[in-house]
Amino acid sequence: MTFVLYSPLLKTLYPEIFLGLVAFGMLMMGRRVHNRSVYSVLSIVSMFIAMMLLLAFDYGSTSFFGGAFVVNKFGLYFAIILLISSAYIAFSAGTRIEHDPEIFFAILLFVDIAMIIASFSLNLIFIFIAFEGISIGTYILSAHGKTRRNLEASAKYFFTGVIATGFIVMGSSFYYLSTGTFDLISGGTATIASKPALLLALIFLFVGFGFKLALVPLQQWAVDAYDGTDNAVSAFLSSGTKVLAFLVLLRVFLVGFAGLSNDVFYLFTIVSIITMTYGNFAALSETNFKRMLAYSSIAQAGYLILVLTVVSGSSSQLAFTLAIFAAMYYSLVYIFMKGGSFLASNAVNKDKIEIDDFSGIGLKSPLFAISLAIMLFALAGIPPTAGFFAKYYLFLALISGHLWYLAVIGILNSAISVFYYLKVVVVMFRPSEHEHFNLSKKVVIPVLIGAILSIALSFLIFGYPNISGIVSGLGIGV
Amino acid sequence: MVFSYYWFIFLTPLIAAPIAEIVGKRIKNAAGWIASLAIAISLALSIVLWLSLRGTSTPIHNSYRWFGYIDAGIYVDHLTIIMLLMVSFVSLMIHLFANYYMKDDPRKNLYFAETALFTSGMLGLVMSSNLLEFFLFWELVGLCSYLLIGFWFFKPNASSAAKKAFIVTRVGDLLFIIGLAVLYSTLTAKGVTNPLSIPFIVNHISTIVSDIGAQNLTIIGLLFLGGAAGKSAQFPLHVWIPDSMEGPTTVSALIHAATMVTAGVYLIARILPIYANATYVAPDAVLYIGAFTAVFAGTIGIAVNDIKRILAYSTISQIGYMMAALGMVSTFGDSVIGYSMYHVVVHAVFKALLFMVAAVILLTLMELRDVRKMGGLWRRMPWTITLFFIGSITLAAIPPTAAYFSKDTIIDVAYNFYALHGFAFWALWPWVFLVLGALTTALYTFRMFFLVALGKPRSKLAAEAKDPPKVVLIPLMILAFLSLTLGIIQYRFYDFITPHTIVVSLPLLEKYTPLTMVVVGLIITLALYATTKWQRMNLSRNPLYKLVRAKFFLDALYTRVIAERVILGLSSGVSRIESGFSRSVEGTGKGAMGFGSILRKIENGVVEYYFVFLIAGVAILMLLLEIYGGI
Repeated sequence: MTFVLYSPLLKTLYPEIFLGLVAFGMLMMGRRVHNRSVYSVLSIVSMFIAMMLLLAFDYGSTSFFGGAFVVNKFGLYFAIILLISSAYIAFSAGTRIEHDPEIFFAILLFVDIAMIIASFSLNLIFIFIAFEGISIGTYILSAHGKTRRNLEASAKYFFTGVIATGFIVMGSSFYYLSTGTFDLISGGTATIASKPALLLALIFLFVGFGFKLALVPLQQWAVDAYDGTDNAVSAFLSSGTKVLAFLVLLRVFLVGFAGLSNDVFYLFTIVSIITMTYGNFAALSETNFKRMLAYSSIAQAGYLILVLTVVSGSSSQLAFTLAIFAAMYYSLVYIFMKGGSFLASNAVNKDKIEIDDFSGIGLKSPLFAISLAIMLFALAGIPPTAGFFAKYYLFLALISGHLWYLAVIGILNSAISVFYYLKVVVVMFRPSEHEHFNLSKKVVIPVLIGAILSIALSFLIFGYPNISGIVSGLGIGV
Repeated sequence: MVFSYYWFIFLTPLIAAPIAEIVGKRIKNAAGWIASLAIAISLALSIVLWLSLRGTSTPIHNSYRWFGYIDAGIYVDHLTIIMLLMVSFVSLMIHLFANYYMKDDPRKNLYFAETALFTSGMLGLVMSSNLLEFFLFWELVGLCSYLLIGFWFFKPNASSAAKKAFIVTRVGDLLFIIGLAVLYSTLTAKGVTNPLSIPFIVNHISTIVSDIGAQNLTIIGLLFLGGAAGKSAQFPLHVWIPDSMEGPTTVSALIHAATMVTAGVYLIARILPIYANATYVAPDAVLYIGAFTAVFAGTIGIAVNDIKRILAYSTISQIGYMMAALGMVSTFGDSVIGYSMYHVVVHAVFKALLFMVAAVILLTLMELRDVRKMGGLWRRMPWTITLFFIGSITLAAIPPTAAYFSKDTIIDVAYNFYALHGFAFWALWPWVFLVLGALTTALYTFRMFFLVALGKPRSKLAAEAKDPPKVVLIPLMILAFLSLTLGIIQYRFYDFITPHTIVVSLPLLEKYTPLTMVVVGLIITLALYATTKWQRMNLSRNPLYKLVRAKFFLDALYTRVIAERVILGLSSGVSRIESGFSRSVEGTGKGAMGFGSILRKIENGVVEYYFVFLIAGVAILMLLLEIYGGI
């Protein structure tokens, strides 16, 4: 007699099951234990155990549930960096949560479960469920503060998010109508029954999934939501969930719409140009620090989706490999440079943080100021930070795919972005009388970690030659 | 990892530099003693190293892979030892004296930190095992020189002199680094794994010749000569040294007379095999530039009135002799290193002495540097001027002082060069130049000495001058003793550097030509300057005098024509383009800001508008796809 638990089907779900058990355990503990650092430590530890469980898989591209759940190196990489990003948030969220910490951290773990599932699924239904799991979790996280500002931001995020969910459902049905399957791999190669319906599916799914990535014209919730929620939640919304949304975009549009690569190419070319430009220009004149970062994260999403233009628009194998490497590397670096910058706003004890509120912080704590400056440099793509190498490989992929005009637009946009990133650096070292800083260890250390990793991750570029084994995991025949 | 005591020869002053700066801020007098102690340790270690290497001809070579094909480390052979002893000894003497000279300067901690750093750089340069490492130290001493010339930056001349020194030597450095690049790229292309290593160049020159050929070697040699000419102030890059005299006089003694300026000579001596195996152009360029500089700078020295500048031109002229000696490598082989280095050492000793005497004089005369305003100082300050006398007769190479042996040997070698080339007319010129150089040396030396020491005081300050406490003159006395006696070690010195040095001999007439020239110079100056006759001379109309006074218009050519017309013109043109460009960037920025604030208005916080925008955006996207996607 074999136990159900030992079946290979369930073995792959061990991390999810484990995280779920811990999360429910936490909710029960909440009756007795009110110390938030206990939950913080517990969730970080369980995330690392989940990572170990993930790594213990035999990841030879095994598929389960009729191809809906494919375990491979590519998905594993994203699952792990998503867990790392949640651990980073769990590590630094401790300061601001004033009540019910168990709910916050349990929800974070539930979101992680959904994230792991989403990074392995190649079926629109699975993706939809996982995606909704993340959405609902983040709605609760963003409302957790229960101040008026938190609730307003959460409400806006929720209302617009629901619309996006509707688009996903509609898009999935159109997809099914025209291809006869929800499976992305077979759908991408299927003979198309109705092309207009498939195009509708393309647009609708783009709206639904692009929403989380805050691509223009779906970006408007982002600025309000990032600004209104707690700093740790904004950091998570702009780093972890964005990377996941990016992964889903890669999967859905490169695998599921492999037959429509021309349309995918035009769609993402237009959207990436508009998004980059919109984000950077709007950030230029912004005076609120978190809103500036929100615009900058819109612009960064514009850079990220350039990967899709390379893969769909170019037939060069080198460009393809470079683009996938850039996607993986950029996602990892992005988590720390963006998340760390958002966490840096913890240092100012105010609700609405203007950029000028940072003036004088460089003289009070040079360590903090230099760390933040490093992350801003990384966002701007200035060497020798990891952000530079991420952009470098991205633009290299564009150029080797003969999409030099996109590379030029991207580089011009990064040049513009330097304006507003450097503004913050200059302000930080200006003398001032401000006394509203909170420079305790709990604030400075997460920022310092982000800064160190924003430089140290540069060494990962030496992993580029080993990339070819992972690229095939995307699901495209290579 | 062999990390022996000799690494500390250059590390000790390097460590001492920041300590001197920090401790000296609290305790005013400590900085000088910390720096002196560090250099005394360097000297002691150099002596230990000398004793251990004395009996053997195997050099010490310790190096580690730095990056690419570059090994960095230490290479010490007999030539290096001589430089180490010379630099650390002279530097120690000058540091000891500087404790007195700089005693009232409020920033003396910085001064001693910088001189210690300089000494470290110079010792490191000497010990480098790789030309790139050599170049880094070369730049470090250049930087220290710049900082110390401009040490009294509140004097307007000082800061501009510092800039001039830095920029002029930069021209040489550029040639040097081009030479390095050419050597590196040509040799690595042939599969050599450590192309810039000094032991490789010294010991495997035949490989280099067969790899890149004598023609290319000549080009490399000429480029290196450019670097050496910049650092060692040879024609036509000599113009920075006289201006560098604006720094503290001890700095002039340490850097611009005794040690750093000989770095160029050391460079040529270090990589002499390159010149020995190049075509005749490279060594002859060294020879003619050196010989010409010797007489050229000496001539200007006669017409200058500033005591420090006279000494500066004399330095340029003396280095010309060292260069000329090295240039005769094709005829005399390795022996020329001995001839040249012997003069380097002797010159360092007596020139440091002369500059420190000048420092004493200037301290009591409140920086009045015009020799015409001095006079009669021998009676006022007998100790100092006696030391000055010893320095002067050494400079003029009157027997039996050390310079008589070192300098006249070079002149004798030049005559042998003429003879060995079958009395060819072209080979005569170096000898002629060097002999005329000896004449000019005697002229400017005795003119300076007589104007300073004899006659009546010609200014109020000179009339009130007096000797400093005798204890501060001890370093000067040691140097004076050495200037008088170093001559006895001449042949042992040659054999220490290169065994079996060729001993030149020549007919009696030619043998005494330079000495005759010195005597002629002495007689002329005795007649003119030991009396008051010179005050009645009116040279201001004499065209030759005007030409020499204007330093052959070379300085004017550099500053008025090249710097002010060509480079400033070019730079103002570029700056106009640049300002137009930056205005356009500013305009773009302003436009972008305006555009951005319009974009921000979309984000008004009202969710209903967001839906409208979303739906409109999606509709436009579908339209665009309809057009471009091609359904």
